[in-house]
Amino acid sequence: MTMLKDVVAELIGMFVAEKWLTIAVLGVVAAAGCLVNFTDLDPLVGGAVVLVGCLILLIESVWRSARADAA
Amino acid sequence: MTWSIAAPAVTAAFLASIVEVVEAFTIVLAVATLRGWRPAAWGTTAGLALLAAIVLMLGPLLDRAPIHSLQLAIGILLLLFGMGWLRKASLRAAGIIPLHDEDAIFKTETTQLDQQTRRRQKNLQWVAGVTALKAVLLEGLEVVFIVIAVGAGRGLLMPAGLGALAACALVLTIGAVVHRPLSRVPENTLKFGVSVMLSAFGVFWTGEGLGIAWPGQDLALLLFVVLFLVAGLVGASLARRSRMEFAL
Repeated sequence: MTMLKDVVAELIGMFVAEKWLTIAVLGVVAAAGCLVNFTDLDPLVGGAVVLVGCLILLIESVWRSARADAA
Repeated sequence: MTWSIAAPAVTAAFLASIVEVVEAFTIVLAVATLRGWRPAAWGTTAGLALLAAIVLMLGPLLDRAPIHSLQLAIGILLLLFGMGWLRKASLRAAGIIPLHDEDAIFKTETTQLDQQTRRRQKNLQWVAGVTALKAVLLEGLEVVFIVIAVGAGRGLLMPAGLGALAACALVLTIGAVVHRPLSRVPENTLKFGVSVMLSAFGVFWTGEGLGIAWPGQDLALLLFVVLFLVAGLVGASLARRSRMEFAL
């Protein structure tokens, strides 16, 4: 039972390194999906949203964690 | 199969597997040092058998999934996994969180196992074997995910799997020769590099899953690798600077 718990915890930990980063990445992908499927914009705009959004979220998450650690 | 996508897939599987196998090896070595090679060997074998069962169960399911849905699901999971690793690697590079220390982990595992076996005087071999099994299973889950994630979207499961197996063989061979934790492996540098590749694959597959045709097709992946590398380094640099500002 403990082993099963550890496996489940490991699986969750693999994809939820930081709660807000996870939520924000899912939000960015959802926004890109909406742009691609429900607007007349070039699908590449959705691709750019995913790419640029993830790059910004990564830098922001590292910076925020560093500030929280230092404070 | 094109080299522009096969090479990063195999490299990512190989390097990620080195990191995970080194971590599992440290714990298996602690078990072997304390309780002998027999429980370490059966724990490792049982862990590998469980991982093989997971792969055999998932394989047919992946074959049945529609390719765009599969790419989207794998892309999102890769983004979450890769960016999580990259965030941690950047924080480690900035000195915010400590580097992975295999020697310290070896000592902690040995002490914990020793305490556990003292508490339960019976089934000492069993406790030791289960510890090895857990280490192989938990670290191996990440290897299985990475191999499936970088391989399934374009029929690269076999090359990615071979990359992971090559890493296992390399680490086990070196481990058997030196017979101590492989603390000189630059784990954070490897994790930084692998997470950059995984994040790039994540954006690529997510886009393909959403029906986006990337300009330059597979070559776009190389641009994503460069951009995530720069983002990781910028993040580490900002983190280091903010740490120094607070220290003043």
